[in-house]
Amino acid sequence: MTRRLVVLAAGLAEPSSTRLLADQLADAVRAQVSSRGEDVSVDVLELRELAHDLATTMTSGGVPTPALSRARDLVSAADGMVAVTPVFSASYSGLFKMFVDALDPDALNGMPVLVAATAGTARHSLVLDHALRPLFTYLRAVVVPTGVFAATEDFGDAGLEERIRRAAAELAALLVGGSGGVGGFAPDLATRPRRSGSELPEPPAFESLLRGHAG
Amino acid sequence: MQFGIFSVGDVTPDPTTGRTPTEGERIESMTRLALKTEEVGLDVFATGEHHNPPFVPSSPTTHLGFIAAQTEKLLLSTSTTLITTNDPVKIAEDYAMLQHLSRGRVDLMMGRGNTGPVYPWFGKDIRDGIPLAVENYHLLRRLWRERVVTWEGTYRTPLQGFTATPAPLDGTPPFVWHGSIRSPEIAEQAAYYGDGFFHNHIFWNKEHTQQMVALYRRRFEAYGHGAADQAIVGLGGQVFMADTEAEAKRVFRPYFDNAPVYGHGPSLEDFSELTPLTVGTPEQVIERTLGFADYVGDYQRQLFLVDHAGLPTDVVLEQVEILGREVVPVLREEFARRRPAHVPSDPPTHASLVAAGPESEHHLVAPVAERAQVDAVAGSTR
Repeated sequence: MTRRLVVLAAGLAEPSSTRLLADQLADAVRAQVSSRGEDVSVDVLELRELAHDLATTMTSGGVPTPALSRARDLVSAADGMVAVTPVFSASYSGLFKMFVDALDPDALNGMPVLVAATAGTARHSLVLDHALRPLFTYLRAVVVPTGVFAATEDFGDAGLEERIRRAAAELAALLVGGSGGVGGFAPDLATRPRRSGSELPEPPAFESLLRGHAG
Repeated sequence: MQFGIFSVGDVTPDPTTGRTPTEGERIESMTRLALKTEEVGLDVFATGEHHNPPFVPSSPTTHLGFIAAQTEKLLLSTSTTLITTNDPVKIAEDYAMLQHLSRGRVDLMMGRGNTGPVYPWFGKDIRDGIPLAVENYHLLRRLWRERVVTWEGTYRTPLQGFTATPAPLDGTPPFVWHGSIRSPEIAEQAAYYGDGFFHNHIFWNKEHTQQMVALYRRRFEAYGHGAADQAIVGLGGQVFMADTEAEAKRVFRPYFDNAPVYGHGPSLEDFSELTPLTVGTPEQVIERTLGFADYVGDYQRQLFLVDHAGLPTDVVLEQVEILGREVVPVLREEFARRRPAHVPSDPPTHASLVAAGPESEHHLVAPVAERAQVDAVAGSTR
């Protein structure tokens, strides 16, 4: 079975060190999944391309543009995610947060997520644990233990590659592993189903709504 | 198929002059809009009910009664009646009164309103929004269908041997639409009773409207009221027209850019692509509107929003003229051409409901449950 990985890259520059890190992470995840004898397909979402769509959606009462709808569907259909943002003012970028805000609250239920960030200075390295980890925990995602932070100086350092490999291995284990339990005997941690927000929930039958109200 | 106008009744400054109409002027302009709607041969005028500025229409039956006195054929409707915060007893009486005064030219649309704070203003709790809509509407159905009602529910004082007056005209309750933008429970409610479902459709992308209508149709069939494509569907739409697309955009753009709902946000072009808003020539409006049936199926009522965002009254009246003269005649013909014979062309009217007789499903409080009961009794005596 081919696993589906979605990569969020919130870099604004061209070329972008955020995109560079995102690609390295995606390649490492692919290698780690392959080494387990499995296959993975990768979709990269450049959030920069959705900036206009996000602004339109936010200012028109939440009506998603077609491009944003496609992105939301892609995210919720994925088996795992790599999320990479540049650090702006000690946190994830506004564009990154706008995209996350446009997701359904049930979009990431139980999804394994690898968090990563780029910045000009190592002084921002705690952004992963102060900003990204709580954000994805709130969304009921499963954040892998190793986050990957890359300051400009790290791109010339062998330590970054090691961290990328370790984080990718952790994500790959969750992507390939599943719950490991026997169906019906082990609790399914992702019982709350994911929703992209594009589909309507089925309403309860009206008699059950009417119960107690029919006087 | 019925065509008409639904007014929001917002009091908004005209961005090109900076002038804000008085509430009196706005109410007067809505009346003129209704009269023009009849004059140009459209079928329906509907007004919303809101209790928060900048909206002026808080009392639809008063206004519609005034309009009824000055019109002959126009169907009077609402584009919403608040089923959550109004007392269902008062709704039953107010609209039955209006039905008598207008000789049956009334239907109404249930809704839950456009703002959360309205609940406490009328002594209700917003967390009960859906349960209030469920209980109040069920009581309303009984009040319109049973001469003497004894009832006890969760949200209002019990009724002991109560009779609502006047009884509906000819003993036949008005047809009801349920309007909802995003609550599947309300589509389900409309389907359960075999009532109409209206999607306001403005401000929303077609994929969303399509899913809501499809849900209603599917459940309408499941509850045994007919085939899914025979369900009674109404849609909104929003247009601004001129001789050329460029001219329409030139005139409408300042109003769009400063409108309370979408102003200072997406561009006119983006919003037109995203939602059914059509700013252009009458031909473009015709083409776009005909396209609605491609994604919701053949439907029975189309209402247009034309008076909002501070547009001057004379401009709005001219829009209705264009609709009546150039757009709707073509739409009537084209919609009729594409509609299969088994799909109703019109929603039920007072005349058609009276003709269907007192034994028809419309007169049952809970058609689904009562039909099941009749079947069970028939089965046991067989």
